[in-house]
Amino acid sequence: MNSSSENGNEFHQKVHPDTLVIGAGIAGIQASLEIANAGYKVYLVEKSGTIGGHMAMFDKTFPTLDCAACILTPKMVEVGQHSRIDLLTCSEVTEVNGYPGAFKVKIHKKARFVDQQLCIGCGSCAAKCPGKAPSEFDSGTALRKAIYIPFPQAVPNKYLIDPESCLYMQTDGKKCGVCVKFCPVNDCIDLHAMDEELNIEVGNIVIATGFKIFDAKKVARFGYGKFPNVLTSLELERLINAGGPTEGKITFRTKDKKGNWVFKPDGGAPDSVAIIHCVGSRDENCNAYCSKVCCMYSLKLAHLVKEKLPATAVYEYFIDMRAFGKGYEEFYQRIKKEGVHMIRGKTAKIEEIKGSLKLRSEDILNNRIIEQLADMVILAVGLEPSDGVKQLSEMIGVEIDANGWYKELDSLLDPVGTARQGVTIAGVCQGPKDIPDTVAQASAAAARVLQSIESLKEVEFI
Amino acid sequence: MGGLTMNTRVNPDFEKELQKYGKGNWNECFHCGNCTAICPLSEDGFLFPRNSIRTLQMGLEKKLETSIEPWLCYYCGDCSETCPRDANPGELMMALRRYLTTRYDWTGLSKKFYTSAVWEYAAIAIIALLVIVSFLVFLPLRPDAALMVNESGGVMINSLVAGVSPDRFVTLIEYGDWLMAVIVGGLLITNIFNMYYKTIIADKTVKIPLSAYFKEFWQLIYNFVTQASFSKCEKRSYWLGHLLLMTGYTIMFIIVVVFLPYFQIEEVVPVWHWQRLLGYYATFGILFFLGIVIFQRLRKNPITMKFSHASDWIFIIMLALTTLTGIILHIFRLAGMVEATYYTYIIHLAVLVPMIVIEVPFSKWSHLAYRPFAIYFSKLKLATLKEKSVRKLAPAIS
Ligand SMILES: Cc1cc2nc3c(=O)[nH]c(=O)nc-3n(C[C@H](O)[C@H](O)[C@H](O)COP(=O)(O)OP(=O)(O)OC[C@H]3O[C@@H](n4cnc5c(N)ncnc54)[C@H](O)[C@@H]3O)c2cc1C
Ligand code: SF4
Ligand code: SF4
Ligand code: SF4
Ligand code: SF4
Repeated sequence: MNSSSENGNEFHQKVHPDTLVIGAGIAGIQASLEIANAGYKVYLVEKSGTIGGHMAMFDKTFPTLDCAACILTPKMVEVGQHSRIDLLTCSEVTEVNGYPGAFKVKIHKKARFVDQQLCIGCGSCAAKCPGKAPSEFDSGTALRKAIYIPFPQAVPNKYLIDPESCLYMQTDGKKCGVCVKFCPVNDCIDLHAMDEELNIEVGNIVIATGFKIFDAKKVARFGYGKFPNVLTSLELERLINAGGPTEGKITFRTKDKKGNWVFKPDGGAPDSVAIIHCVGSRDENCNAYCSKVCCMYSLKLAHLVKEKLPATAVYEYFIDMRAFGKGYEEFYQRIKKEGVHMIRGKTAKIEEIKGSLKLRSEDILNNRIIEQLADMVILAVGLEPSDGVKQLSEMIGVEIDANGWYKELDSLLDPVGTARQGVTIAGVCQGPKDIPDTVAQASAAAARVLQSIESLKEVEFI
Repeated sequence: MGGLTMNTRVNPDFEKELQKYGKGNWNECFHCGNCTAICPLSEDGFLFPRNSIRTLQMGLEKKLETSIEPWLCYYCGDCSETCPRDANPGELMMALRRYLTTRYDWTGLSKKFYTSAVWEYAAIAIIALLVIVSFLVFLPLRPDAALMVNESGGVMINSLVAGVSPDRFVTLIEYGDWLMAVIVGGLLITNIFNMYYKTIIADKTVKIPLSAYFKEFWQLIYNFVTQASFSKCEKRSYWLGHLLLMTGYTIMFIIVVVFLPYFQIEEVVPVWHWQRLLGYYATFGILFFLGIVIFQRLRKNPITMKFSHASDWIFIIMLALTTLTGIILHIFRLAGMVEATYYTYIIHLAVLVPMIVIEVPFSKWSHLAYRPFAIYFSKLKLATLKEKSVRKLAPAIS
């Protein structure tokens, strides 16, 4: 792509001061705020209906056990209100043209069907809505309506409709339409709203598309999806969260009247919980890499289970305990002191016996086989690149590695830059990392963007 | 298990040496414990395959040489299939079985056969030649052999050679059988004693009371006949295939060695006669097993068939040739084809004899004896451990 000849003397081009940030997890939020607060405009493109990413789902964060929402919510609100941040939810980048310093980007903005300005967030619509689907934000532990708000602190704090579960849209307008009738604001809900295409021009792009969790069904011998009380770590995060489906109680998965498996506050509490590390990580049969955060979040979850249910026995089956950061080893030692049983040896298989789960593992340090009964098993699932990284990377012209993580320019000296000028990466999309590292990298990416705008430096065309 | 004191000398090249007996990335293992926990046969006191990998990584050759664990594995492949490091722990157990076979054999021939296919081919060829030459020289086809057909049109197999009466012929073959059995059995018994010495006597950490030998004796018989442990594996079809082969082979072996005068007779007995039924069962069992194994080895799937040692192919080929020549012999006999029957008979023996002489004491077939003995020995050790209540029976957590 050598447009220099056409531009003649304009080979040295001033960088467009606007920036595109893709993905609005903690990485995208942090980068956007840094840039916007420095005085420049940001387009923040988020695929889902709210910003916040995974961090918004957690109750507490390791190793300090700070309340996740207490840190994240103010940042989310700031993004929502920022005059220099143009927040585009339910949106995805579909085309990237131009060149560093002057990218021309096409964005597909899906209809939310509820007017962002008019909706007062009263929820009258959802109260009557008959359409239901598993809640993405609750990691499927509960159902949400077809017209819904992902969670009470969502930004934007407005309702939206999921066409997949809306009866009206699935029947081409033959059924339902109830929400429109019950909405107290005129013309707020438009069941015929159309998707939009936006064209913007930006000087820099920050990729912050984060991750998705490993699909635990792929390891059939753990019985996820077959045994109701084998859970993923993310599901447990939602149970522990006071804003979750069980109001913060750790309960069993039970069948509701319609036959859906969900968690309810009165589901009954487990007497024993086993956590299995490295599910879908450090395994040549799925992902060979270490997901870096699951040891620590498992310790956190063990602590939180103990905190909520002091009499419940908690076991952790691990290969190696990777407590790598500041204060992390201390956290590990603290959790051990709290009475969590640490067993070195990865569980090989789980069977269900009369509603109880039997785990078979080798207790390596004590040279014996352990066949243990537990009421609940938590799979510490690993992290995988989020869907669509391949297309996005091709669109933008940056590389991904064999596992699908974005390739940094230099793993030692430039972990935020990419082989394409004007494109930086931040957060888990570059590789598994925890929140402190994510935030640090996001700030670094923002600094790189600001540097390129501020210095009025010319960019070379690539 | 195994005495730690005498087994601590390190042989840093042992892993490299063991690669001659089987292929695996055994140094890749990071000791997650998955394999031992998934293994249906691993139990407290005899934890494998991870323990064996650990011992291998440390180069403790003596400790492996005295271990029983490899014989307790039936190679279902579950461990290798699920190993997160692709370290192929199941194949290590297989390699160790081959290695141990060479260690128990005091003649040193087994080691030659396992580490060099040329040696094995040469040995087979020599024995086969001996069989053929002795027949042609000492028991040639009689000139009027064409007349040796009974009333139902079948070849009178014992009346084909010149200068020897039918009774005498059977007796001669029987003597040959017994000679072979004595040599093979003698070798095998001394090897088993060697195994006993290495795994039990040399292990100073356990002292087995005499009574245990009697109490646990049924294990030996029971496990030999039923292969009960194998049925613990989740893949029942493996067990069935293995059982078919084992019973088929054993039946054939017993008929030919012990009951030859009743089996190799002049008249053609009806199809439902016990000897024909047993013969057909054995042939079917062996063929069925062979078909599956050849298919799987060529496809290198399942994982247990990914690596084929030269000795595996030799064994398959010899067994297939024996069975096929046996079938052809049977057909020629029924069809009354005298000369064809005579020569096929020689070829049949020229394959069968080397197969037994080489495979049973020195190679793959020896496991038929080692495995039940290993189970017996392991029960002996477990019994003493239980008695001394050394064994941490109750997991602290349940
Ligand atoms: C169970 C669990 C517990 C954890 N607990 C802790 C903890 O206690 N402490 C800690 O430090 N870390 C913890 N972590 C790690 C933490 O979740 C991550 O470090 C952090 O969420 C990374 O943020 P991110 O913004 O990079 O990614 P994400 O949070 O995944 O955000 C990415 C965002 O990008 C959006 N997106 C994806 N693709 C596109 C696209 N193509 N276009 C537009 N938008 C897109 C997604 O919808 C999402 O909103 C935990 C992880 C898990 C799984
Ligand atoms: S049209 Fe009906 S199903 Fe669709 S969002 Fe409105 S109330 Fe729900
Ligand atoms: S962080 Fe821990 S649990 Fe996660 S993959 Fe790495 S070692 Fe396994
Ligand atoms: S499963 Fe593989 S990596 Fe784990 S202990 Fe066994 S051989 Fe080693
Ligand atoms: S192959 Fe099967 S029997 Fe042998 S060690 Fe592995 S799991 Fe156990």
